[in-house]
Amino acid sequence: MGVRRRSHRLAAMITVAGLAFGAAGCGSGSDSAGGDDPNTLEVWTRSNPDPAATYERVFAAFTEKTGIKIDYQPVINFDQQLQSRASTRDLPDVMINDTALMGSYQSQGLLETIDPAAIEGHDQITDKTWSSTVGIDGEHYGIPYSRQAQTLMIRKDWLRKLGLQAPTTWAEMIGVAKAFADRDPDGDGKKDTYGMVVPGSAQNGYAAWWGASFLWSGGAKIIEPDGKGYRPAMDSAAAVRTVTWMKDNLFCGDNGVIQPGAITAVTGTATNFQDGDAGMYLTGPYNIATYDATPGKDTFDVVPFPAGPAGSTVLADGENIYFGARTGKTRQEQALAAFLISPEGQKLAMTGDNQPVVRIPVNSTLDAAQVRDDPRWSVVQKAYEDASEQFPNAPDFAPIKQDTADALNAVFTYCGSDVGSSLKELNDTLAGDLKDQDLLK
Amino acid sequence: MTATTIAPRRRGALTKRVFGKKAVLPWLFLAPGLLLALVFKFLPMGKGIWLSFFDVRPFLGDQWVGLDNYTRVLTDHRFQDAVGHTLLLGIGQSLGAIVVGFFLALLLEGQARSLKIMRTAVFLPVVTATAVVGELWRLMYYPTSDGLVNSALGFLGLGPTPFLDNPDTALWATMVMGIWMVAPYNMVIILAGLAGVDRTLYEAAAMDGVSLWQRLRHVTLPAIRPAIGIVLTLAAIRGLRVFTEVYVLTGGGPAGSTEVWMTRAYTLGFTRNDIGGASAASVVLLAVTLLLTVTVNHFRKRGDVR
Repeated sequence: MGVRRRSHRLAAMITVAGLAFGAAGCGSGSDSAGGDDPNTLEVWTRSNPDPAATYERVFAAFTEKTGIKIDYQPVINFDQQLQSRASTRDLPDVMINDTALMGSYQSQGLLETIDPAAIEGHDQITDKTWSSTVGIDGEHYGIPYSRQAQTLMIRKDWLRKLGLQAPTTWAEMIGVAKAFADRDPDGDGKKDTYGMVVPGSAQNGYAAWWGASFLWSGGAKIIEPDGKGYRPAMDSAAAVRTVTWMKDNLFCGDNGVIQPGAITAVTGTATNFQDGDAGMYLTGPYNIATYDATPGKDTFDVVPFPAGPAGSTVLADGENIYFGARTGKTRQEQALAAFLISPEGQKLAMTGDNQPVVRIPVNSTLDAAQVRDDPRWSVVQKAYEDASEQFPNAPDFAPIKQDTADALNAVFTYCGSDVGSSLKELNDTLAGDLKDQDLLK
Repeated sequence: MTATTIAPRRRGALTKRVFGKKAVLPWLFLAPGLLLALVFKFLPMGKGIWLSFFDVRPFLGDQWVGLDNYTRVLTDHRFQDAVGHTLLLGIGQSLGAIVVGFFLALLLEGQARSLKIMRTAVFLPVVTATAVVGELWRLMYYPTSDGLVNSALGFLGLGPTPFLDNPDTALWATMVMGIWMVAPYNMVIILAGLAGVDRTLYEAAAMDGVSLWQRLRHVTLPAIRPAIGIVLTLAAIRGLRVFTEVYVLTGGGPAGSTEVWMTRAYTLGFTRNDIGGASAASVVLLAVTLLLTVTVNHFRKRGDVR
């Protein structure tokens, strides 16, 4: 196993090195170890070492049960490495990655179609959840594995100290943010705290990822279904109003509402909540385990995202199980998928000492808060079930997300800019992206 | 002028060397390197050039699109901005690093043991991974008085400046980091050049009572011209393909103000999955780099002959 993994990593490294040296070319000879052995599945997940430890445990249980071996690769630069492997036409057998990437993978032909009925235990996943893996042609291209929705992490010790309540509207949220910045909630006599953490960089589309919950709660849409296709919707009055509100109140308003450097921050560098100098962070529940360690389980609460003019609709996200195109190990792949979505597999992935890799279970017989004996997870589950929206997974959303992030980042950077004309320009760009995919009707 | 008379004899020697028995040995030694270069450099490069003419879809079949990728990339105004930033960053960083490297070399030239320690210390940025350097500088530029640079500005009574978050300063801030990183490398090459300067010239100059500036201008600079030539060639190449610094420090932001050629190509290839476009962008970069290297070399050779 170790040797095999090493040879793989080497192959991946070689491929990446090839890409770095030549123009985006192809690494030669990244040949899949174990590729010939029908009883070994190569599985990729986009994971850091900590969640990878959870996956190791899950796969070990699977191997014990079925005898099918797993060659597991936690890949941090998932997209980059996958593109490299795709260029050699040799994909992993099974991949577990974001739902929003399905359209992108499908449009490149990387995925096998899936017949839900062929997966044992498929009836324990709700139709609504299954519907999120339908591609642009009406076929399923993934099996739901884990779901999540964004919630607001908030320092309850700070709230208590300042005599405040957790905010339920945007106006209250700004009030709390200002209080966190100005009224010295950590009591060290220095003005060194901030209201809210924002990963506002356009890199990897972060501004759109984080901003989506604001857009939707403000009544705006990025793209809208239109007949058989889609149309861009970022020039609507609601979008202009929401983006203007974000610009004026968060980025260009009072100093300290958001952390310094937000405009170039990605999630990896926006660590202020963890560092203990920012009081709120709208983010996914995978961070709960991290924040239980620092700043500490007793210091923060998980609450629903405060309501905007159009209510509180947050970004839902999650991971699907994908089968790489053309591997010919369908039976083993289906066995693995069945195990991963079974109550046993889901529970294993939700518990343990490491970061859970299943956040909200897709298996409808399970309850997140109950499995974990932690009522905070019911806040996340409720947000997912009642008031969430996903990036559409049917079209290739990657360019749309990137262009939206670029435009939002520019609006937030130039405080004097005209939001209306910037969004109009974005809308034209999005129309171009949709047209490239033959989806603009 | 003597070259013409030597040439025939040299050519004869060359043929003898290539076909003689002795010729095998050097090639044998070169083979591993050549093989590695072929597999890891030239084949991927060739494949990259090939892919730049396709709409790349490995599993659906690549589609020939001719020069479409090139026109698309070159007419994209975002890409044009990125090229502008690359040129500004590349030229500024190269010149800055040469000037700073030159002065570091002048300061640290000599035999004393303490100088050796100093030179090692100064050289450290070069051997540190660029990603680490970027992370370090991001912390130094942190836009409150917690950041090293801003805390220093605080002593002077200046308020904290958001170096990286202001689109007007982000590129310059990146440039300063680049200079910091590359200057010591140039220093070493220039130091080697300085070691070859004939000491008696300095003594003669001192006797003639020339000023420091005149000494630099007429003795030192002409003597280290070959070193400067090498430094320039390397700088031209490095300047254009700048990537890690920018990617780690700002990710191309804010508002695309630090987007450079390679970060744009990276976004095309790996965020938007447009491998064909990314290949075209990289091929253009390859062509420009080649052109620039040849030009610099041409002028360097002409300078040498003169």
